Amino acid sequence: MRYRLLTVALLALALPSAASARGEFDPSEEFQQHEWVSIHLGGLNLSITKAVVYLFLGAGLTMLLGIVLMRVRIPGRRQAAGVIVYEIAQTQVAEQGLPSKHVGRWFPYVATLMLFIWTVNMLGFLPLPLTGETWHGVPTWGIYAATSSLSVTLALAILTFIFTHVEGIRWNGPVHYFKSWIPEVPKALLPLIIPLEILGQFMRLISLSVRLYANMLAGHMLILTFIGLMFVLENVFLAIVVVPAATAFYLFEVVIVVSIQAFIFAALSAIYIGSAIEPEH
Amino acid sequence: MLHTVIAAASGDVTKAGKAIALALGIGLGSLGAGIGIGNIFGSMIQSVARQPELRGELQGIQWLGFALTEAVVFYGLIGGLLAYVLV
Repeated sequence: MRYRLLTVALLALALPSAASARGEFDPSEEFQQHEWVSIHLGGLNLSITKAVVYLFLGAGLTMLLGIVLMRVRIPGRRQAAGVIVYEIAQTQVAEQGLPSKHVGRWFPYVATLMLFIWTVNMLGFLPLPLTGETWHGVPTWGIYAATSSLSVTLALAILTFIFTHVEGIRWNGPVHYFKSWIPEVPKALLPLIIPLEILGQFMRLISLSVRLYANMLAGHMLILTFIGLMFVLENVFLAIVVVPAATAFYLFEVVIVVSIQAFIFAALSAIYIGSAIEPEH
Repeated sequence: MLHTVIAAASGDVTKAGKAIALALGIGLGSLGAGIGIGNIFGSMIQSVARQPELRGELQGIQWLGFALTEAVVFYGLIGGLLAYVLV
């Protein structure tokens, strides 16, 4: 029975069924932002788009998550989950990167960053009726993550960037702090090293934001492309191959990538801020 | 691949070249990251086999290294997409 099914599937794939008339499918359309509520303040465009709605939802859910998991009267499973989240934020993120004297001050920031990014990432893999398209008056459901927009991740990275340098200047003084960027090398190499080190500080900004952005974008793109292959090649029998493949990638993203990226963003923020507060030399 | 074939069939050499470049870039990028990720997990298995009590401590470092290495593919992907769309 299974072999017969496989043969039928392979035959269906081999048949050049309507290969000349390809459907129009472009996965990048899913990531376009349309202004739902137009708000323009001078040159600023503060319109509410799909990403903004997802961010609002994410912020609300993050607060809810904190209240539900952390404010428990009777110890139980909910509290155990809260303790795990707190412990990861405390031992794996904050204490790894921050000097022990400053953990108290910056723990709230890195822990919030971790929870918020995790929630927004996770929201990206739950189908929600927020695609902005309707089908016979019913809103269609789709997956979209606010973190697959570079503006969102860049804003988060800029926060970390500003905090890093403000803290560095505050605890070391501007002269000592900026001197600490430059490693001890022979004088002749200095003209080469100084621009590289300054560039390196700005590369952090890019790597921090692009890492999260590209991970989420590529994850969604992969799932959409696999499903979309059915429509591009106009062959419904392709579902036998593409649906399991898309499901596998979906599970990989939900189980591993979502948590890892949230963890990495928070951990790197802690490391950057920590290394600015206490430079190595 | 699909884009290449379609573009080649229609005689659009520029598009075909861009598609090949995008695919090659991503492919070579993932080659490097694949080696790197394999190294990380291989070393993790070795170190846990030698000192199982350090597992918890090593796990954080392992995932940090995994994400840093994995991100390299996506820099290639974004660069390739930019080149594909803009140039």
